[in-house]
Amino acid sequence: MRKFDPDRPWDLTTLPTTMAPKGSKPHAPTDDRCFLGAGDVPAAPKLQEAVATIKNWFRASSLNVLAFGTGCGAIELRPLSTSRFDMSRFGISGAPSPRQANVFIISGYLSTKTLKRVIRSYEQMPNPKWVVALGSCTINGGMYWDSYNTIKVLDLYMPVDVYITGCMPRPEALIAGFDYLMQDIKKGEANGWHHYLENLEWYRDNQKKVITDWDLPNYSW
Amino acid sequence: MELLPKIGWTALSLFVGINYGFVINGIIRKVMARIQGRFGPPLWQPYIDMGKLLFQRNSIMHGYMHWLGPVFRSVGGIGVFVLVPIVIGDPRLAGFSEMGDLLLVMYFMFFGSLGMALGAGEGGHPHSPIGVSRGLSQMTAFEVPFILSIIALATAAGSFDINAIVAGQQGGVLQWNFFSNPFATAAAFIALLGMNMYAPFNIVGAPTEIPVGPATEYQNTYFSLMMIGRSALAIGKMVLFMNLFLGGAHSVLEALVKVIVIYFWSVFVGAVFPRFRTEQSVRFFLRWPTVIGVAGVLFAQLVRS
Amino acid sequence: MFDFNHSNLDENGNPGAEIVSRIHDRFGNFPVHVQKPDLIRLNVPQTDIIPLLSWLRTETPFVQLTHLTAIDWLEEDEFELVYLITAPSLCISLMVCIRVNREKAEAESVFNLWLQAETYEQELHEMFGIHFPGSPRQGVPFILEGWQDMPPMRRDFDTVEYCNRTHPERPGREHHDSRIYVGRKFGEKGYLK
Repeated sequence: MRKFDPDRPWDLTTLPTTMAPKGSKPHAPTDDRCFLGAGDVPAAPKLQEAVATIKNWFRASSLNVLAFGTGCGAIELRPLSTSRFDMSRFGISGAPSPRQANVFIISGYLSTKTLKRVIRSYEQMPNPKWVVALGSCTINGGMYWDSYNTIKVLDLYMPVDVYITGCMPRPEALIAGFDYLMQDIKKGEANGWHHYLENLEWYRDNQKKVITDWDLPNYSW
Repeated sequence: MELLPKIGWTALSLFVGINYGFVINGIIRKVMARIQGRFGPPLWQPYIDMGKLLFQRNSIMHGYMHWLGPVFRSVGGIGVFVLVPIVIGDPRLAGFSEMGDLLLVMYFMFFGSLGMALGAGEGGHPHSPIGVSRGLSQMTAFEVPFILSIIALATAAGSFDINAIVAGQQGGVLQWNFFSNPFATAAAFIALLGMNMYAPFNIVGAPTEIPVGPATEYQNTYFSLMMIGRSALAIGKMVLFMNLFLGGAHSVLEALVKVIVIYFWSVFVGAVFPRFRTEQSVRFFLRWPTVIGVAGVLFAQLVRS
Repeated sequence: MFDFNHSNLDENGNPGAEIVSRIHDRFGNFPVHVQKPDLIRLNVPQTDIIPLLSWLRTETPFVQLTHLTAIDWLEEDEFELVYLITAPSLCISLMVCIRVNREKAEAESVFNLWLQAETYEQELHEMFGIHFPGSPRQGVPFILEGWQDMPPMRRDFDTVEYCNRTHPERPGREHHDSRIYVGRKFGEKGYLK
């Protein structure tokens, strides 16, 4: 598990593409911590793989985006559902409640006050779930690099599956990002939610560093 | 007919009916998208959504009452479906219609909503009780013209039995209640707009206000169960309206066509109208549709005497 | 109630001369600076602010608190509070400015005159550390939840140092000047050095 060392930012030899810890598994794994009930019954590996493929195809073809605009990039989500760009062609639709959403789009800058709500909403979403980070503010701070109230690196606090660069990215870029996300889901490689559960303590430490008045439960079910 | 084959045939027709509801749902999404100038999702998108929901498992527990909400909802939908005959004179497709009359069907139509209201309140999210109270007040409002229309039809047929009402409409298109009692038809079809919850009466799951209303806290498998119940209830209601006003069906194909025609009445109205507020909706139903319903009852009495 | 209207212009066409002379008659000679024909700045002693604003609110058309903000004069060790009061019927605004001490930053609340001042005063308390005794929600977090440092809008708050300390930067970012990246990408030589 790699930890980001703020004292040695020049250390480019270990420059990660994402700061989330490595160790992905080939298919969406089972974790009894995140479900009610007894868990999946283990089957033969071949059958398991086939079932996982089918599941991943279904998941990739029906993405529900949580309606939570965290920053200015939310303005790019509106054209996506109108007639010019029409995300429902790809089976993507909106979900107003985190209980029914799969995809969380962090649209642009994220202030620490919003980060608290984002963490809460993210943890309330059912597994599996994916995070799309939109705009350069989520990658390295962007134009808010010297703001006292805006986080700079999103994947210190949440696992990110797809980054979309730009300030602001156009809706076409967003559709391209969704395309990458769907391919990753079908291959079973978009397992950021599992990283989050496995390394919850590491994420919690980072979150508590910026959210000084932490009053959330241990895990927001 | 023996009970066991009857149950088998009813289960089969229920399966087909639920699937037909899914197909119609896909068509509706496509049609709405085309009206708005979009391409829209593929026709089988409801099936994909359903599969995705079934492949996920629930992660929260709000108590057993909360879980029973969608169960009550689907019981209401299935109850309506199995109590309505689909094809005239075919005992295989008559369901259990000779065991219950129109009053039992109406009881099941509102039982689902009440059960859902009971379960949704357990979730604790403030949108759920708001949606429930909106839905129940609208339900009491559209029930008035609908019941007046039912009373008119029962007066004309002399019975609350659906089979008797259908039998009274045979012998030509002009014998349908659609033509023989236009007032009752108008009142019931306006009440249907409220039942189907498309705009302008989509105040329960009003987007941008209380986004999904009572279903806010429901998750994967329970959400899919609600989809099934909603599908069965919608198709059951359409078959009921077909029997009451469009003279029933003589073949399965005729039933399918009539069902989709009735369904798209509320879809097309919903595509062009904005949403009412709750009190506007209640006032709307209690004003002209009620007057039309009273006129339908008087008309039926007049024709009979 | 005075009868203010546009026929009361003086010979220079200044629509606010009437109200300025009224204020001078009543409260003494404040320094007045006419920034625009419809925007007049008054520098008022701190003790006169509540009588002046209550008089404006109750007896003149200046009934609307458009804005309340603060300016940090670090070199003079003072905060300047700016009340922007508008007369909607005249389309004239008054900038009423008072100076408060920076060390003991405290000013009287105008919450009793305008209810919306509550939010402005809450924000000023949070962002500048100016205390308004009697105003509700003083000290309740507005934007900064759990803030433990100096109020961030004070000019001696080092934003970059705080930001580098609290929010780590992704390794690999060399500059914060986008012109360098744009020049490197699109070959505009003028931006390279």
